Amino acid sequence: MSTKTPAAPAKAPAKAGPRPSGSKRLFRKIEPYIWIAPSIILMAIFIVTPIFKVFQLSLSDVSRAGKIKGFNGIENFVKVLKSPAFGLVLKNTLVWTVAVVVLSTVLGFMLALVLNNQFRGRKAARAIVVFPWATTLVIQASAWNFIINKDYGTLNTLLMKIGLISAPVNWTPTPGAYFAWEIACGIFVTIPFVTFCVLSGLQSIDASYYEAATVDGAGYFQKLFSITLPLVKSSLTVSTVLNIIYVFNSFPIIWTMTKGDPANHTDTLVTYLYKLAFYNGKQGEASAVSVIGFMILLACASVYMIYTLRKGDEDL
Amino acid sequence: MSQPAASIRKKPVSMKKAILRLLLYFVVLDVCVITLYPYFAMLCTALKNRVEIFSSNGTILPVTALWSNFIDIWSRAPMAKYMLNSVLIAGGSTIIAMLCGIPAAYALARMKFKGQTAFLGFVIVSQMFAPVVLLIGIYQVMQRLGLTDNILGLIFINAAFNQAFTIWLLRGTFMGISAEMEQAATIDGCTRVQSMMKVLLPVAAPGIVTTLIFIFINAWNEYTVALCLISTDEYKPLTVGINTFNGYNMIEWQYLFAASIFAIIPVVILFMCIEKNLVSGLASGGVKG
Repeated sequence: MSTKTPAAPAKAPAKAGPRPSGSKRLFRKIEPYIWIAPSIILMAIFIVTPIFKVFQLSLSDVSRAGKIKGFNGIENFVKVLKSPAFGLVLKNTLVWTVAVVVLSTVLGFMLALVLNNQFRGRKAARAIVVFPWATTLVIQASAWNFIINKDYGTLNTLLMKIGLISAPVNWTPTPGAYFAWEIACGIFVTIPFVTFCVLSGLQSIDASYYEAATVDGAGYFQKLFSITLPLVKSSLTVSTVLNIIYVFNSFPIIWTMTKGDPANHTDTLVTYLYKLAFYNGKQGEASAVSVIGFMILLACASVYMIYTLRKGDEDL
Repeated sequence: MSQPAASIRKKPVSMKKAILRLLLYFVVLDVCVITLYPYFAMLCTALKNRVEIFSSNGTILPVTALWSNFIDIWSRAPMAKYMLNSVLIAGGSTIIAMLCGIPAAYALARMKFKGQTAFLGFVIVSQMFAPVVLLIGIYQVMQRLGLTDNILGLIFINAAFNQAFTIWLLRGTFMGISAEMEQAATIDGCTRVQSMMKVLLPVAAPGIVTTLIFIFINAWNEYTVALCLISTDEYKPLTVGINTFNGYNMIEWQYLFAASIFAIIPVVILFMCIEKNLVSGLASGGVKG
């Protein structure tokens, strides 16, 4: 394994020993790269190479079978941008991403604070909360699709039995309503991820901070904003950054519930490009959509990286 | 806010506490009921027959619980095979992702080197493309490597696409732990690898376990790549396999949900086993040990 380091010299008691020799100093220099090598190799083969392939395809004239027939510049991009559906798809993607990420982060954080309390049944509650995350999106989306069905869905049955409604309600009268249900489903499955990221951050906070703050007379919100938030900020940042990416690229919920229909009204970029590639055989244009989506995420990520990593370097 | 008038405020505080407690239980109960509802609906549906499911005069609980649905699915589709494949894919992906991710996260948290920021940037950027976006590219690479229609191919893809998450979460965990104890171990004659294995990893256990769970669940639940790469029924994981019951013309809801429950249960059980470790708060214990 590449994680092996020379064990022999370090075995000797090194307290205030002589300065490291030349070869040892060289090793110190290259050591970090040995530690990150396995990860880099793995990602280079299975992520970077496909990325290059997609970029290449986006600039090529591609046959229906996926063979490159030649370079055709930005023609694929022009075709995509000119298509009337693209604006709608872009808008849907924005609404979908912002709604799901913001709402699930707020709700997930609140839920984490609730579950971090000591109460009877806490273990059971935590176990239950992870359910939606432990469930594959396809199954979750199928379940919700079944629940909200206007003809035989269990939501209507349930509400009628309780007496809240007297006749079955059509929960999805418009494409917009269906899209809202898809967003709700997205929030539902994203909350546990945020909650458990925050919980793992909350757990590593030493209780003595709170004790000291309580002795000093700090109120709940004071403690929340001056102890809890700063200390879980890194967990929260990780969950938010990854959520933006995952939700932006999320495919199974929309695919299972509406397949982007009717007429692109519930399509996001990924479902749109999937249809282009595998239904319409336009792999070049589909790759162009991939690249456009990637550019949008990259723009968001650049803002974040400039802001955070610069700060991180100061801390080092 | 900071007045030390404890004696005066004592009574209202305990009253407030009781109300908060009640509110807490109310919120927790609500969350649990809403969370479990889809599963309740799935279970009830899995126990009904077709006629009852599509009846306009719907029932909540099945009139008679048709447990045979749960047995029928094993003969109607190679469920055992699907299950084994899912275990292999999720387990293999987790192992590879951790073997690659732990050293990388350690280097990022504990060492200074040129290109550190660039590597972190690369990790984020690598995640901008979900597998679904890269499907065309992935397929071509796997074809080159001879890993299409192969479980090993899915293991590598899942491990690679979970690297960013592994590295980010572990790096955060490692950085949250003081390096002092490791330095002390080094002075006592431990190598870097030893000090990481014996000092850092035990203290970082809650974070590592969290990471493990997430990767396993991710890989178990992966659908899109498996759908694209696996064409032989024998190599399909559960997520793809259960679609046998989701036909073009009609959905066999009772079978689909019965099979779905089998796909959900192992992950939930696994999580519950590990959840105890998460709760026990090893981080604070590490300081004393």
